Order: sequence, then C-alpha cells, then structure tokens
Amino acid sequence: MTRLNASQRRGLIGALLLSLLILLIVGLYALWGESWQARVLYAAFVNLIVVIGLQTFMGNANFAVFSHAAFMGIAAYAAAICVTPVAMKAVSLPDAPWGLNAFEMSPLASALVALGITGTLGLLTGLFMSRLTGVGVTIVSIAILVIVHSIFLHRTDIFKGNQALFGIPRIFGLTHVTVLAIVAIFAARLFRESAVGLRLRAAADDEIGARAMGVDVHRARLVAWVVSTLFFAAAGIAYAFFLGTISARPFYFNFVFLTVAMLILGGLRSVSGAVFGTLLITIGLELVRWLETGPTLAGVKLPQMLGLSGLLLGVVIVAVMAFRPHGLMGNREIEDLVLPRKGTS
Amino acid sequence: MLEVAGLKVFHGPIEAVHGIDLAVGQGTCVSLLGPNGAGKTSTLGAIVGSVRHEGAIRLDGRDLGRMAIEDRFREGIALCPEGRRIFNNLSVHDNLRMGAATRRDAKGVAADIDDWFARFPILGERRDQSAGTLSGGEQQMLAIARALLSRPRILLLDEPSLGLAPLIIRQVFELIAELRRDGMTILLVEQNASAAVEVSDRVYVMANGVIRRAGAAAEFGDGSGLMDELTGVHA
Amino acid sequence: MDYAVQQFLNALSFGAEYALIALGLAIVFSIMGLVNFAHGEVIAFGGYSLAVVGTILTGNPLILMGFVLLACVAVAVLLEKVAFRTVRDADITTGLLTAFGVSIILQNVFLLLGSPRPVAATQLIFLDRTLWLGPVQVSSLQIYETVATILAIAGLGLFLTRSNLGIAMRAAARDFEMVRLCGLRANRVVSGAFAISGLLAGLACIFIMARRGSAAPHMGFDPVLTAFVACVVGGFGSLPGAVLGGFLLGFLEVGMLVLLPQSYGGLARAAVFAMVALVLIWRPDGILSPASEKGDKI
Repeated sequence: MTRLNASQRRGLIGALLLSLLILLIVGLYALWGESWQARVLYAAFVNLIVVIGLQTFMGNANFAVFSHAAFMGIAAYAAAICVTPVAMKAVSLPDAPWGLNAFEMSPLASALVALGITGTLGLLTGLFMSRLTGVGVTIVSIAILVIVHSIFLHRTDIFKGNQALFGIPRIFGLTHVTVLAIVAIFAARLFRESAVGLRLRAAADDEIGARAMGVDVHRARLVAWVVSTLFFAAAGIAYAFFLGTISARPFYFNFVFLTVAMLILGGLRSVSGAVFGTLLITIGLELVRWLETGPTLAGVKLPQMLGLSGLLLGVVIVAVMAFRPHGLMGNREIEDLVLPRKGTS
Repeated sequence: MLEVAGLKVFHGPIEAVHGIDLAVGQGTCVSLLGPNGAGKTSTLGAIVGSVRHEGAIRLDGRDLGRMAIEDRFREGIALCPEGRRIFNNLSVHDNLRMGAATRRDAKGVAADIDDWFARFPILGERRDQSAGTLSGGEQQMLAIARALLSRPRILLLDEPSLGLAPLIIRQVFELIAELRRDGMTILLVEQNASAAVEVSDRVYVMANGVIRRAGAAAEFGDGSGLMDELTGVHA
Repeated sequence: MDYAVQQFLNALSFGAEYALIALGLAIVFSIMGLVNFAHGEVIAFGGYSLAVVGTILTGNPLILMGFVLLACVAVAVLLEKVAFRTVRDADITTGLLTAFGVSIILQNVFLLLGSPRPVAATQLIFLDRTLWLGPVQVSSLQIYETVATILAIAGLGLFLTRSNLGIAMRAAARDFEMVRLCGLRANRVVSGAFAISGLLAGLACIFIMARRGSAAPHMGFDPVLTAFVACVVGGFGSLPGAVLGGFLLGFLEVGMLVLLPQSYGGLARAAVFAMVALVLIWRPDGILSPASEKGDKI
C-alpha cells in the first residue's frame, strides 16, 4: 500500500471518530434499548450507507442526482431472488421467467451477484451520465428512477410490483449492518481524500480550470458514479437480507426525498455531514411519526396528521438551503472540529 | 456633478480599490487611466452599484451609495460596460429598446433610435438582425447608443477601444468628442492613454487601487509618455 | 386511417400539455437558472382551488377557469417571493434542491389539508366530449388543448418580442446584470417570469382537471417530470427547445403506446425516457441547446 498523505491520514482519523459514534449508538441500544428500536437503528444504518453513497457522487461532483433508490432496489431484488430457496420461490415467484425460480445461491454469492449487476448497470448509466452537463444529470437520474420503477411495477412475474416478494432468508442482523456502515464510512472518506475525489472536487468548483490542468473530468465522474452505485447496492442487499420481504414502493420518490434531505441537512460536501444528517433526521422523524398517529398529549387527543413527516423533510431542505446552503458541516469533517487544520484556514 | 469620496471596492474579501476621491463636473469628460488591474472597472462597478463598496457616491449632492443598480440607473447613471455586453440574442433594434426601457415617451424613443440609425447607417441596415452578428466596432457603437438612449445625466464608458482595429478606435473617440461637444458628462476608463487624454478635460491616473496623479488634461501633454510611466508604476 | 388521425390528435394534445408545462419551466430557468421542481405543485394548487371554489362559490365554468389561471399565477409569484428569492444568486444545485424541498412541502400540505385520496372537481369535465369529424371520432378536449396551446405559444411569442418586459426577459436570459444596468428592476423581471410560468401551468391545469375530474397531491408531479425531460431534450433554458421537446415527447409517448403490445402499456413512459437518454448521448446539451451561444460572452 502506498503511503498516505496528510489529508488521507486525517481522513482515517475522521472515519475512526465517526465509527466510534456509530459504535456508541449501538452500545447505548445494547445497554438500554428496547427491541423495536433495533429496527429503527437498522433502517437508519441502511439509510446511512445510501446517504454516504450519495455523498460520494453528489458531494464530490456537486450534482444533484435522484436515481439512488433505483440502484438500491435493483440490488435488493437481485440479492433476494438469488438467495431465496427454490422451494420458497415456487410459492413467491411461481411465474418467474428464465429459470429465476429454479436456482438458489449462498448469501455471499447472492450479494456478489447483486453487487455485480448493480455495478454493471452503474457503469453503463455512468458512461453517459458522466458526459451530461448541469441540469441534464439531475433530470436523467430521475428518468432512470422512473424507468426502473416502471419495470419493477410492470414485471410482476419477477418483482411482484407493489406486492411483497417474501420468503427471503433473514440473514442479517444489527451487527452486520453496523459493520457495513463503518466500512462505508471508511470507504467514503478514503474516496473523498483520494486523487479521484480531489480531482472531482476541483472540477466541481471550476470545471474549465480543472480541465485546463489536465483533469479528465468525465472519467473522475464515472468512477465516482460507479462507486456510489456500489454503496446503494450494499444498502439494498442489507435491506433485503434483514427484512425478508421487499416491494417496489420503498424504492421510489419518498425514499429519495428522505435520503436527500438527510444529506443536505448534514452538508453534501462532507462525509461527517452525511452521518450527522442521517442521524438527526432519523431522530426527528421518529418524534414526528409519533405525532402523526394522533397521540394523546397532556390529555388532549391530537388529530391524525398524515404528511407531517414529509412536510418536515421539505422544511429542512428549504431552510438549510436558504440559511446554510452547505449544511451543518459545510466543507468540514469531524476531525476538523477536534483537531485544527494546520496551515490552511 | 458626480462626486466619489473615500471609495473602497471589494471583490469577496479582497479590497481592490483603497479609498479614492474623484469628481466629474457637469458637461466635462474625465478619463480614468491606468494599467490592467488598477481598479478602474471596479470603480465604475461601484458607481453603478454592481460590486460591494464603501464610501460616498454623490450625483448632484444625492448620495447613491445604498441604492440598487436599477435605481442608480434611474437617477441618470448609464454604463457602457467593458466587453460591451450587448444582448447578442436580441436584434439590434431590441438592444436599443432595452436601453430606453425606463422611458415612457414612446415617440421620443422611436425618434432617438432613428437618430442613431442615421448616425450609424450600418445599425439601421441591420435593425432586425441579431446583434451577435455585428462586428466588434459595430457592437461598440450599439453599446454606446444603448447606454445613451435612456438620456442619462452621466455616461460611464469602460474601455470602449478594447479589442478594436485602429481605424475603428478613431471612430469611437470621434464619437466621444462629439458627445462632449454636445454637453454630455462622461467618465471614461481607458488604457489607450493618448487617445483618452485628447478628448478629456481632466485626467486621473490609477494604479494598484489608488489614484496616483490627477490634473487637467493639458498637464499630460499628448499622453504618450503616460503609458510607460504607468507600466513603471505597475511594476 | 381514422385510427391514425385519432392517434395523431392524441399525440398533439399530449405534446401540447407537455409543451405548456415545459415552457413554464424553461422561462424560469433561462432567467434565473432555477430548476423549478415545485412547478407540478402549482398545477396541483390550481386543481385544489378549482375543487374548493367550484364547491363553495360558483359552478360557472368560465369564472372557474379564470380562477384556476389566477390561482396558479398567484401561487407561482408567491413561491418566488417566499422561497426562491433567497437563493436567486446561488448555484444551480442549491436552487434545484430548494425547489425540490418546496415541492415536498406543498405535496404534504395538500396531503394534510386535503386528503391522500383525490378530491372530486368535475366542473370542467364537460370540455371532454366525443366529436365526430366526418368519420373520425375525436375528443373535443384534445382539440381545445391543442388550439389553446398554439394560441398560448403565439401569445407568449408576441409578448417576448413586442413588450419591453418580454424583451427584457429574453435579454435577462443572456445577461441579467446588464438588464439591471438598463434600469429594469430584477424583481419585476423575475416575478414576470414566474407569473408567465404560473399562467401556462394554469392552462395545463384546466386541461388536466378536465381529463381527471379530481385533484390530488401528486397530480402535477408526473406531467412535470415528463416536461423536465422535454426541456432537457430540447436544450434546457431554450424556449423553442421546450416546445419542440414537449411535442416530441408527446409523439414518442403516443407512438410507444401504439407500438408496444397492450400488456406493455405500463412501460410506455419508461421506454420514452430511455429513448430520450439515447438522444442525450448524441447531444449531451439537448437538441436546441443555448449553450453553444454562451461562448461569445466576454
């Protein structure tokens, strides 16, 4: 392994601090948590992996993209279809074509297949995503989301549409996803401080300038795009392996709203921001969901308020953009809060 | 007429102009000369209100310092900017209409536009053509005409000779001299010192964000030595 | 033959709707670089105001149509004042995400105040009748829609080439600061652009309501999505591009519905989007991209 430069060493320290934060939360849960909170925590960590993946592309390249739910869905379905036993698939996917219900694989092989499929699709889409400019990137990413979702809904013989694809072995627990989240944090930090990450960030600030310096912007964007789809794939696999049942609905706009709000609140430009944003919004939403059901508060029965959580996400996005466009963290990472940076301001 | 006192101009955190004083009398032409990066364009930007600045900017005693760009224009300050910035997706005629957009007398505007077409027949011939197809010199004339169509009280000209052929430059300066004879108040920013001195009543020389010299145009002779001096100051 | 004429009219009316919406997106984008994700919620607002006013005040369709237009213009201008003014000078991503947030807020406000289920508003469905043009059976709504769109585009064209404010809007697309240096108030130009986009959205809303007969929180989202794609294909920020892209998508979508076997109908939009993506490989900046003209600004 080549020697790390100063900012990469700081990146490792930062990733370590963030991992400790994650472990602290899991520790708190292990000591005092109630069992239903495991589910909340698990969902939060899956979201965290997605938000970190988003950060690797959106944060470094400074484009808004909304296709992540699609890639996550592809990986979730791929892993689910591979790992579900044949006997179960005879019930859950009786009409599947191409012998999809006639084989089964080990969890590891299934995960690798899912990563491979998603990564390949990431590469194919990335080949032209990396050439598009400005708004085109966002709109085409939405087109990808819509296309994939339509296919999920249409091919009910493979994906069951809005019905549940059930019977997936529940292989993962909180431990697995915690490890995965920590790996994601390290990977994203190292990517941010890597040569490609640095080039991308330079190109985001001044594309012409970066080109003039000989940076191959398209290539750097392509790499970031593919890397980010792998994060989404990992999240999708973890999602399927934990829940044991998936449907097309969660892999669409509502999930996109949620994860984008998380990233924006923390600040797109920093991995620590992604982590903090995810944790804060998860906590906020748990409170709001409780309000949404119309609880009784100090003897007063509150009305049921559907849409409150969505409203909150929207308000968070608009308020952050208006008052703190770079999010809570801006360009800073967690270690910048603890260790002052030498030389630069 | 126009008075600038203690003007500081900022680009982000950087101070580009460090507190200069400047005055342009009614009906006179004043040049602001200096090398690249002296702060001339920044000074004009501050006067029209497009960059952050501190200090007093008074037009006939009224302080404009806190007004928005649009309101300063409505007070009678028109800028013919560096690089001309004509609307190259609009026709020649529409560019001129933009210059007169704040006027309410449609007939007067039409008559003024016709005057300009008489003065520069090429603009009249290309009336409905996209302004982006004009040559540099034609675009410069169009930009000056656009600025004057609002009937401003003072015209700010930023490097009108930039990037033009010598013959065209002469035409531009002839136009400036003509405007001055007609009683227009002009603040001219230039690097072409000798041509600028010739049409001016008063000259300011600027370098590194401060005024180095000021005086009547006659004190500068034909201005030819000025450029060397300036580059010396710059280095 | 009859079938072909029917499908042609179908495509025209689809395209007209997309073109109306895409124009509204493009005019705002060309002036202030804002990708207005909340445009669909302006349409939904029009739908809800039709439902409310149509129930409690009057059933007169002409008054109601006027009211829908007014409501859409008002809400578009208001959104600019409240939400988009603060990010006017920000970069594209910031503006885009703000609009995205505004869109989510409005959808959920509709959800909170209305209901997740569509609210009936059938006052305008009388526009959609079956007509016989000789042997060809057509929908009157499609004819209204196509004609109204062509009139709206012509009117917009006149406004942009004849009026001072219209010329200023075109000029602002190139160099906003220079427009201010000509004494035109930035707020007025931007509000004007939003008012026009609201008016076009209102027109689209009337036709959407005539077809659906009900208002729902997400009713504007899907057509706006397609209109965005239309804008990108046409060249984002180009007004002729928006019209071209809108009609192109209308024809593609109807073409897909005709060509794909019945059972694949659900994939028509996906197929259209995929084809558009292919167009973008050929021309990453869209067909009528204004980008090629940007170079000559010093």
